[in-house]
Amino acid sequence: MDRYVFREGSFTVITWLSGIAVFAIFALLVFDVFYHSGLFSLEFLFSDVKGAGREGGILPVIISTSLIVLTCSVVSLPIALGSAYFLFYFSRQNTRISALLRVSLDVLASTPSIVFGLFGSAFFCLYLDLGFSILSGGLTLACMILPAVIRMCEEGLSATPEEYGLQAAALGMSKTALFFHVLLPAALPTLSAAVLLGIGRALSETAALLFTSGYVLRMPESLMDSGRSLSIHIYDLAMNIPGGDQNAYRTAAVLLGMLFVINSVALASMNFCAGRVIRK
Amino acid sequence: MSIKTFLFTFVVTLCCLLPSQEANAADKRLSLSGSSTIAPLISEIARRFEAEHKDFRIDVQTGGSSRGIADARRGLSDIGMSSRALHDEEKAGVKTHILAMDGIAFVVHAKNPIKNLSAAQARQIYTGQISNWKQLGGEDAEMTIIDRAKGRSEQELMTKFLGIKSPEVKANLTCGENQQCLKLVTGNAHAITYLSVGTSEYEVNRGTPIRLLDFEGIPASVATVKDQSFPLVRPLVLITPERLPEEVEEFLNYSLSNKVDDLIKGQAFVSTH
Repeated sequence: MDRYVFREGSFTVITWLSGIAVFAIFALLVFDVFYHSGLFSLEFLFSDVKGAGREGGILPVIISTSLIVLTCSVVSLPIALGSAYFLFYFSRQNTRISALLRVSLDVLASTPSIVFGLFGSAFFCLYLDLGFSILSGGLTLACMILPAVIRMCEEGLSATPEEYGLQAAALGMSKTALFFHVLLPAALPTLSAAVLLGIGRALSETAALLFTSGYVLRMPESLMDSGRSLSIHIYDLAMNIPGGDQNAYRTAAVLLGMLFVINSVALASMNFCAGRVIRK
Repeated sequence: MSIKTFLFTFVVTLCCLLPSQEANAADKRLSLSGSSTIAPLISEIARRFEAEHKDFRIDVQTGGSSRGIADARRGLSDIGMSSRALHDEEKAGVKTHILAMDGIAFVVHAKNPIKNLSAAQARQIYTGQISNWKQLGGEDAEMTIIDRAKGRSEQELMTKFLGIKSPEVKANLTCGENQQCLKLVTGNAHAITYLSVGTSEYEVNRGTPIRLLDFEGIPASVATVKDQSFPLVRPLVLITPERLPEEVEEFLNYSLSNKVDDLIKGQAFVSTH
């Protein structure tokens, strides 16, 4: 066989195989969760926990999780965008500080989440005296996802054509106007992807929350209450509660569903408004 | 929709979703922390107690027996939870209350023909002198010996009872939580491990293919743990300061009363009443 044909052919086969492998892993995981969870009624989502989670639903857990993720995104979004813009300016000048900042962000981004959990427990829960609370959990998660989100947002901003900055300067646009009217819309798809990956990571976090937002199964009444997240609920049901398997799988199915819905809705709406803005 | 409208809608939605920060009527707050074995049970007790006493709020956190003891001693939590008896040096300044009992049984797969085990045999298994089921009169198959993670109360109790030191234990696998161990045994016909009697009996009744081995000729069951004839038992302990604040005492008395016997049974432990 021609060497060229062989090389190209094997490359194609390997590419296809890796694609199929990724899909197969995803399909197996989803199948496993939904096979074991079986069909369950929507009542599971809207009823209170009973028997330590073995019976009943997961409403308080869903509410706690949403509040944790909400706190996390409200805190981390503005900070992430601001720091990314800041870094973006540095990166055009390529100073030593910017290189240092970038390395430290990369190291932070790959730090295991349990380390953030211990930090959050020491700093937010004990030092700031927030105790086991949804607020501590959300803030810890914000610290955890910030490095990765900042780096991705910065990549998004850097990917915009360099001429935009020059043209804006020529037109006498302020830096704020440049950011809100030109760069943000142009980089929106990347930014939204970054934010979604961050929220996805926050939603599925276990270790960082065990020591910060805690284990309490009651319906949270304020951000200062302790509340259990979906992932901790799954962990506890699967590891600690005799006969908790069925509901662990059901909770896992709900978590997967939430991730799927958040991802697709947010992506669709971001794409929609990105399209509108650029046309205008 | 312009980007401004989008951001505006986003912020407004967030504000609507945030819950009201109104102070709750509950003025008596209790916090408990410690053993992950006791946490589900005490959460259920707290839930029932809160329903009957509307002015109470009880928060339960896990973290392990040692943390429960340390938190209670330092006053970080009102009540600590421990699934092992306290060491002498841990007892200073605190009071312990036995919430329920639990036994530790050796557990094998249901297909395994072995019915009972002596302490001497268990010692030989866990020190590596017996590694084939044939040596105990079973079929000719290599054992899969499963130990519990170091620092867990089961491991401490087992090694202490058999008189072996933790580093001498020879095992093929080590597992942490009860449910993880159960899954290892149900998936391996030649495995042996040791587990909470209550949890194992609960799983047997649900049809999980495991068997609790008689230990020293005494059947491992909730009944033998209750009448204290089973040798390997551990107390589930609540730890409080020596002088009890009023609200701690109220919850403690409730937890130790027979009003929670059905919850203790429901979580597969043995009540002391």
